[in-house]
Amino acid sequence: MALVEVRGLTKTFRRADKADGLSGSLRHLVERRFTTVTAVDALDLTIEAGESVAYVGPNGAGKSTTIKMLTGIVEPTSGTVRVGGLVPHRQRMANARQIGVLFGQRTQLWWDLQVGESLRLIRDMYSVPEPVYRARLERLDAVLGLAELLPVVARRLSLGQRMRADLACALLHGPSVVYLDEPTIGLDIAVKDRVRLLLRELATEGVTLMLTTHDLADIEDTCERIVVIDRGRAIFDGTVRQVKDRYARQRTMHLQFDADVDLAGLQARFPGVPVRPGDGARTFSISFDKNALAAGAVLARAVAVAGVLDVRIDEPGIDDVIRKVYAGELTLQAEPEVLAGER
Amino acid sequence: MNARAYLRIARNSASTIASYRASFVMGSLGVLCQLVALAALWSALLSRGVSLAGFSLAQMKGYLFIGFATGVLATAHRESRFASRITDGTVALDLVKPLQYRGMRFAETLGGFAPELVMIGLVLGGYLLLAGPVAAPAQLGLLVLSVLLVLPIKFLIIYTSTLACFWTSSYHGIAWARSAVTAILSGALVPLALLPGPLRAVAHWTPFSSITSTPGLIYAGQARGAHALVLIATQLAWAVLLWVFAGWVWRRAVRRLAVVGG
Amino acid sequence: MSMRYLTLYRRCLGAHLRAVLEYQADFCILVVAGIVTQCLGLVFLGTVFTRIPSLHGWRLPELVLLYALVGLTQAAVTLFSDGIWFLNHALHTGEFDYRLVRPYPPVLQMMSTQIGFSGVGDLLASLALLVWALLHLHLHLSPLRAAACLVLAASAVVTRIAIVVAANASAFWIGSPSPTFATAVHSIGELSRYPLSIYGLGLRLFITVVLPFGFAGFLPASWILGRTDGYARLGLLSPAVALLTAGLAYALFQRGLRRYESAGH
Repeated sequence: MALVEVRGLTKTFRRADKADGLSGSLRHLVERRFTTVTAVDALDLTIEAGESVAYVGPNGAGKSTTIKMLTGIVEPTSGTVRVGGLVPHRQRMANARQIGVLFGQRTQLWWDLQVGESLRLIRDMYSVPEPVYRARLERLDAVLGLAELLPVVARRLSLGQRMRADLACALLHGPSVVYLDEPTIGLDIAVKDRVRLLLRELATEGVTLMLTTHDLADIEDTCERIVVIDRGRAIFDGTVRQVKDRYARQRTMHLQFDADVDLAGLQARFPGVPVRPGDGARTFSISFDKNALAAGAVLARAVAVAGVLDVRIDEPGIDDVIRKVYAGELTLQAEPEVLAGER
Repeated sequence: MNARAYLRIARNSASTIASYRASFVMGSLGVLCQLVALAALWSALLSRGVSLAGFSLAQMKGYLFIGFATGVLATAHRESRFASRITDGTVALDLVKPLQYRGMRFAETLGGFAPELVMIGLVLGGYLLLAGPVAAPAQLGLLVLSVLLVLPIKFLIIYTSTLACFWTSSYHGIAWARSAVTAILSGALVPLALLPGPLRAVAHWTPFSSITSTPGLIYAGQARGAHALVLIATQLAWAVLLWVFAGWVWRRAVRRLAVVGG
Repeated sequence: MSMRYLTLYRRCLGAHLRAVLEYQADFCILVVAGIVTQCLGLVFLGTVFTRIPSLHGWRLPELVLLYALVGLTQAAVTLFSDGIWFLNHALHTGEFDYRLVRPYPPVLQMMSTQIGFSGVGDLLASLALLVWALLHLHLHLSPLRAAACLVLAASAVVTRIAIVVAANASAFWIGSPSPTFATAVHSIGELSRYPLSIYGLGLRLFITVVLPFGFAGFLPASWILGRTDGYARLGLLSPAVALLTAGLAYALFQRGLRRYESAGH
């Protein structure tokens, strides 16, 4: 059996329909109307032990709701969840011991306590033996630079410091499944790098990871697998490499020539490849499939038109692909199983 | 001045309160239960036609209700929201608005007035049904006037005490202490005439007695004519004095904000 | 298992205590506030009851003892389970999420969030009243009877905690940012400070059957005072009522957990 098994998972919320302002509130008093919102819609998901899965989708797609059902925080409206053979919302305590959870938007630190004190409380809650606790703290310290944070009261921490401390809280008991909801939100580059380093270490140790994020750079070298969710449904489930190879192929070369160049003349040199005028004078952008056309060949043809002063190449990233998916410009197809957007 | 902006703030506060009507109704029921019980206690105490501090049983029951009603005023918009504005630093945003901080908070409190009246009305209905005979007010017009004056007085006392958050992070303690002191010195707990001499003197020379005792005495007819007018004038004077005092505390508090570096 | 929970409970309260003691000024404010709040009761007793020789057959020392016993149970509740008053806030902000992913029952986590320091004032004032009442009452307590009194007092504490937990668990259903409903319920508990006979039948039934505050005050106190009326005999049921109420409160809380939808999506 897989470590995480999700079948037909659905969560609907009832939201009050209320007009703005005082009169709206008063009207709602008399006549209560609600709309049912489906946050997660018949989701199927299987995660094997040791996999690291990126769970992405636009705002309000149902990412956090899924995580909350997988962790047992929220009870599903219908469908089944099993994590390590346990039903999370029925066996909360047993499930708690095998999972680690981080919600990037919230802290689990005790607001008035020093970070060290919070960590010790968590140690006691999970009954982590002292030597194991020390060893783990040392390891986390090596990546997260925890030592400097231990004597600080939680409410005095900066956002980045807080996230480092929170990661330590989530990992202190050595969970076998770790859920991270936006672990890099609002962080500066230096802290982001530390967090990503830690995630890679966890993945190589065989910890099962599930990660939601808006910053797709988080997943490029952490996750092998990506699940894209939109309006509560999984619209893609495949490997990150697959997505990059199949969809992230459009390179864009930005050129600046030393003489005036005619767009039509330039386009004639690149049949079937779109050429657009750039922002500056004598600049052009050429978008091409990197598998069909080598960068050198493009440049060689350009040089034949006029002297080239400056060249810059935009490499395709997974975020471009996902952005197009969000915008509805692209439907991802996984192989061999097909999980298309339309059913 | 920015009358429209203040009006908008008051309306927002009213609609926020209205959106939590369930807890509001529950709260009213709880209070009603407590009031009825207090009336029962006083009925037991004042049985056989005894009167205490010049109050007959029927008047005492009315006095209890006045104590409740004046206790509700200026509380629907919860003071903890004033306090958390300061502790979480939102106050810094208020400083850059072209509105007066105290004025904005007063507008929020006034926004709670309608919901407070609804609650008082609901509880009054239940109370008259359940508590047995209650004496009618001796001077209704003066009573309404003095109850209205309670609103600014209570607001200013609460508002000024929330400014303590510039100095301490433990607002809960301050709020408790203040409400306990208010309950004793306002006459909400027992009519001031029953208090021992020194405590009674303190009550008379502080704004607290203007909160419950004044409307209560006017209601029961213990303060009539000129005496009643003097008490109302005293309320007015306290409102003005507290307004000025609140401004003074605020100026010192803002200086503190600059020091702390909020 | 339950030993582990007890240790954790103590650890959480202890951690909060240390955090508060760091800020001495805040700590002093809290203690002073607690004492001032207690003065309310003293003033009421002192000004009203001293003018009246007896209330429905209860003499002043008896009334004071009743008052003190309720104060003591109240103090225990405040000192050891004050955190439950934050449930509502935790639900409102979604901070509750984390409490559901730790191997320590959420209801205990909430209750042990903080120590209610106003309980200190309650405790001191009630102890003073208790001593005064005992000096004037000449109760004769055999060891067995004393033990029974302690059991009844403990039951009263459990009943009161259970009611407060149940009242706060209403937050799972009523989405309010402040515990208005629980506050209202809690304040009804004040009624148990006086002889039940002063209330009408409806109110009497209400605070023995619906919200069993009577078992957290007047009823066990009647037995402790050695009265022999029906109320005193009813007071002997306090331990059973405590277990029942605690069970119901726990069940209600667990039901609420199933409704929890967390803030945001």
